[in-house]
Amino acid sequence: MPEIIPGTLDLSTTVRLGLRNLFRNRRRTLITASTVAIAVILMQFSFSLMMGLEQQSFDNLINFQTGHAKVYAAGYFADRNELPLEPTLTDIGEIRSALEGINGVAATTPRLTFFAQLSNGVDQIPCQGIGIDLSGSDTDVFRIPEAILDGAYLAESEEGMLLGSGLADLFEVGPGDWLTVLTKTAAGAYEALDLPVVGVIGTGNPLIDQNSFLIGLEEARTVLEMPEAATELALRFRLGVRESAVMERVDAAVASAPGVEVKGWRSIEDNFIALTKIKRSGQGIMLGILLLMAVVGITNTILMATYERTREIGMLMAMGLRSGGVRRIFLVEGAINGLLGGAIGTVIALVPIIWLATTGWDLTATYGDMDIGYPVRGVIYPAFNYIMIIAIWLATGLLATAAALYPAARASRLDTVEALRHV
Amino acid sequence: MTMAASLTDVEKTYRTGAVGVPAIRGITLEIEEGAFLSIAGPSGSGKTTLLNLLGVLDTPTAGIITIGGESTEGLSARDIADFRNTHLGFVFQTFNLIPVLTAFENVEFPLHLLGVGQPAERRRRVEEILADVGLGGLSDRRPNELSGGQQQRVAVARALVKEPTLVLADEPTANLDSTTAEEIMALMHEMNERRGTTFVFSTHDPLVMGHASRLIMLRDGQVESDERRGNGHA
Repeated sequence: MPEIIPGTLDLSTTVRLGLRNLFRNRRRTLITASTVAIAVILMQFSFSLMMGLEQQSFDNLINFQTGHAKVYAAGYFADRNELPLEPTLTDIGEIRSALEGINGVAATTPRLTFFAQLSNGVDQIPCQGIGIDLSGSDTDVFRIPEAILDGAYLAESEEGMLLGSGLADLFEVGPGDWLTVLTKTAAGAYEALDLPVVGVIGTGNPLIDQNSFLIGLEEARTVLEMPEAATELALRFRLGVRESAVMERVDAAVASAPGVEVKGWRSIEDNFIALTKIKRSGQGIMLGILLLMAVVGITNTILMATYERTREIGMLMAMGLRSGGVRRIFLVEGAINGLLGGAIGTVIALVPIIWLATTGWDLTATYGDMDIGYPVRGVIYPAFNYIMIIAIWLATGLLATAAALYPAARASRLDTVEALRHV
Repeated sequence: MTMAASLTDVEKTYRTGAVGVPAIRGITLEIEEGAFLSIAGPSGSGKTTLLNLLGVLDTPTAGIITIGGESTEGLSARDIADFRNTHLGFVFQTFNLIPVLTAFENVEFPLHLLGVGQPAERRRRVEEILADVGLGGLSDRRPNELSGGQQQRVAVARALVKEPTLVLADEPTANLDSTTAEEIMALMHEMNERRGTTFVFSTHDPLVMGHASRLIMLRDGQVESDERRGNGHA
């Protein structure tokens, strides 16, 4: 049995009273709840969409750009944006087998990333070339075949390139057309290589789609005159493992290997992750303000209720209800108002969230190829995160309780005699 | 004889700016347990002020008030609330029931405040008092489904359910027709006799005065007459 403090009402009685009082002025309750509900619909939907976008962006980065982690030659990572050809990994056989032996690591693949100019004989565009292992290990780590928009994936030892869709648009080329790769060897000599476009890839990641082409690793090594070399060794972790735990084991293994360093995908993409956090806080603040505005309606509703029920408050005080008990009655009414509006909003928001989380929302159909600031493409899926959904609902209740603080405090300070005389 | 309440040299002066308006001027009074006391007098004589002082709704400017043997002097706001909770029951002119609660719940309300935690105990006490005031079959009705007289019966039951030292009734018949007023006064009189509860009324109504076992007439904040009639419980 709950503890009963004389001079106050137990919570269940207060809640019962609060619920009944909600229906005292139905229209006002409905208006207040609707305002809160609209803000909560926007909040729930936006957060689900944003979380879905973030998750898909992270998946996209892992699937097409970073893997779960990359091993570099020591010193490469700091200069990686300049696409240097040294330091590079050379004898990778030993470290590959060491890494593949780690519990939680599914596969590894070497890549050779280099600076190049692509030319169709008229225009010349600077971009990055990526040498990928066509013997099967690249597709164990990355999901490039899933991004083929036109043409086919490169066959083993096939001469040709997979071209980012943005570059394909710029050059107005497709599978079967030829482009010239202009680059410098490790020794600094200019090299040119004519290659047919075998496939066009669209990943949603601008770095790949707008700036990259992929060729066979051996082809890249040959043109750069860097036999056995790789700029990075990318790792994929097994499905369902705890990333941080595997990363710790990888870190430990790499620490014992001389001249190499390892970076998890979150470190590689720290700028993007920082950006998503900023976006999330920005959106959170905007929606928070919206919710606050809606919740201020509750202040007004409770204030009206305290005016209308002044004599009732006086009577309750005369009967021996402490001022804290009066405050609690109106705080609970505020909370119920917020939770009711929040529940209505959440239930309504769940309809599009669940629908889109199941069927997806075709961004390309809605916005075309517009850059929405996230490396995602085609169909996006809002996250259905019930913890976040419940948290937003409860936060609405909490804000509503806070909104009722002023009217509740005002009611609790009423003079009993004056309140009883109130007409 | 045990006293339900006593007032010793009680004064109450209201201040409006620099001017003090005396409402009660040195009243000394003892109210014995089981009294059925009516305070009457013309408008402005201090009836309501005296009732408010007895109800610890207001504090005297001077003098000492004791209710149930406990002094009301120097109590904090919380203590005052608890004091009213323990010792006092109120019946108002306008009934003042909580409209969203049923008759049963309205009567049960003071028991929640008193900390009667056992639902079965609350139910027993509420059902008993509702039967006593003749509302046994109407306990599920809300105030707007009850007549004025029935609402005032609920209010009487609500005042009595916690077995207070003193029930204070401010013009309890003012909003009732004469037949219903007579019924309510008879009911309170019956409760006074059966339960020995002390009642103090402030009134203009000759009907209420007629029922009183003791009639105190006030004039200009002082006791003009104090007449004992001997038809109360005490």
